[in-house]
Amino acid sequence: MHTKWKLITCLILVLIVGLGLPITAFAHGAKIKYTVDMTIELVAAYDNGEPMAGAQFTVYAPDDLFTPWLTGVCDDEGRFSFVPDTSKPGTWDIQVRQAGHGDIVHIPIGEDMVATSGTGGYTAIQIILMAACFIWGSVGTALYFSRRRRA
Amino acid sequence: MRKRIIGLVITVLFVVSIMLVSCGGGEVGTLQFNANGEDFVRQGFISKDGWSIDFAHVYITLADVTACQTAPPYDPHSDNDMKCDVKVSLDKVYTVDLAEGGEDASPILVGEVTNTAVGHYNAISWKMVKATSEPAVGYSLVIVGTAEKDSQSINFSIKVDEEYQYSCGEYVGDKRKGMVEEGGTADVEITFHFDHIFGDIETPMDDGLNVSAVGFECFAGIAEGGRLDVDMAELQSKLSSGDYQMLVDILPTLGHVGEGHCHYH
Repeated sequence: MHTKWKLITCLILVLIVGLGLPITAFAHGAKIKYTVDMTIELVAAYDNGEPMAGAQFTVYAPDDLFTPWLTGVCDDEGRFSFVPDTSKPGTWDIQVRQAGHGDIVHIPIGEDMVATSGTGGYTAIQIILMAACFIWGSVGTALYFSRRRRA
Repeated sequence: MRKRIIGLVITVLFVVSIMLVSCGGGEVGTLQFNANGEDFVRQGFISKDGWSIDFAHVYITLADVTACQTAPPYDPHSDNDMKCDVKVSLDKVYTVDLAEGGEDASPILVGEVTNTAVGHYNAISWKMVKATSEPAVGYSLVIVGTAEKDSQSINFSIKVDEEYQYSCGEYVGDKRKGMVEEGGTADVEITFHFDHIFGDIETPMDDGLNVSAVGFECFAGIAEGGRLDVDMAELQSKLSSGDYQMLVDILPTLGHVGEGHCHYH
């Protein structure tokens, strides 16, 4: 029964932290907002350095290698950019072609490269509560497996 | 007794799971290897210096033709070697005629491998070697055709005995190639750009293609009686040193994967 209450208490704390319920801890806590821009910019040029102005580009997402995810045309400097869908982790393939010349590049995009916005991490009280839950859970688990069997 | 049964069940589950994992790679399909001289060879074209060129035969001899699944994808612009996770090879030496068929003919099938592992074959390598049998014995490339300009007509046969090795990444073109699915057939393509030798009048003269192409005028200049039948040794003695060197420099750049460039050596 004791272990059960430990678990319930821990779950409640995890829910409070996880759901981001407002916990007011410090009157003058600082908050930093951030935005990660996952824009990928590419520049296509010929071997002699001349930009591939107006070249066709095709972007393939890792979940569908046959169907273009995005198509378009490079600008006068051979540039184009796109924001990949980070819910599709893996290798994104980008092909650029013009007048019989072309190339393909492969860009790995991981799930952790999330394009998002938010605030500057957890508050101090959230970190303390999470650490406490982790330690409490670890100790509880260790005690459970080390208990003696009844004769 | 109960412990023994549990142990037995765990062992059986372990063995079955190992078998399932081992059999997971059993999905197979077919991979075809095509060679393509593109419309330049099938339909002819006008060189950078105004010669209208039609090809009767373009014999090219290929060996060690191999397709690979590479992760990360092989980059021919890097100095790195191609590292194949899965490799499929043709085991013979093949001489194909890139001019075979009509103007709208399909690329030439070099060979195919059945029961090949599914997956994306995103790299390919091959060698251009001297043929050991007719019709191109002793040469890696034989270009036979007719060139016309104004009232001149020249029947030519240009024979190359240089050997080259190519390592290429993924095919670059209208469609992606090399994706073998369970029970399906996919293809990879070895592409040759003959406008690199003769240039293309439809491309600006200051384009890199035409700047580095030797054109046809220099070949016309050494033809006799409307005929030119030469190999590289004869070209070296008859062409100017500048023209011959341009030809030597441009020949290895013929090999591509669609529009994608290859690493050659």
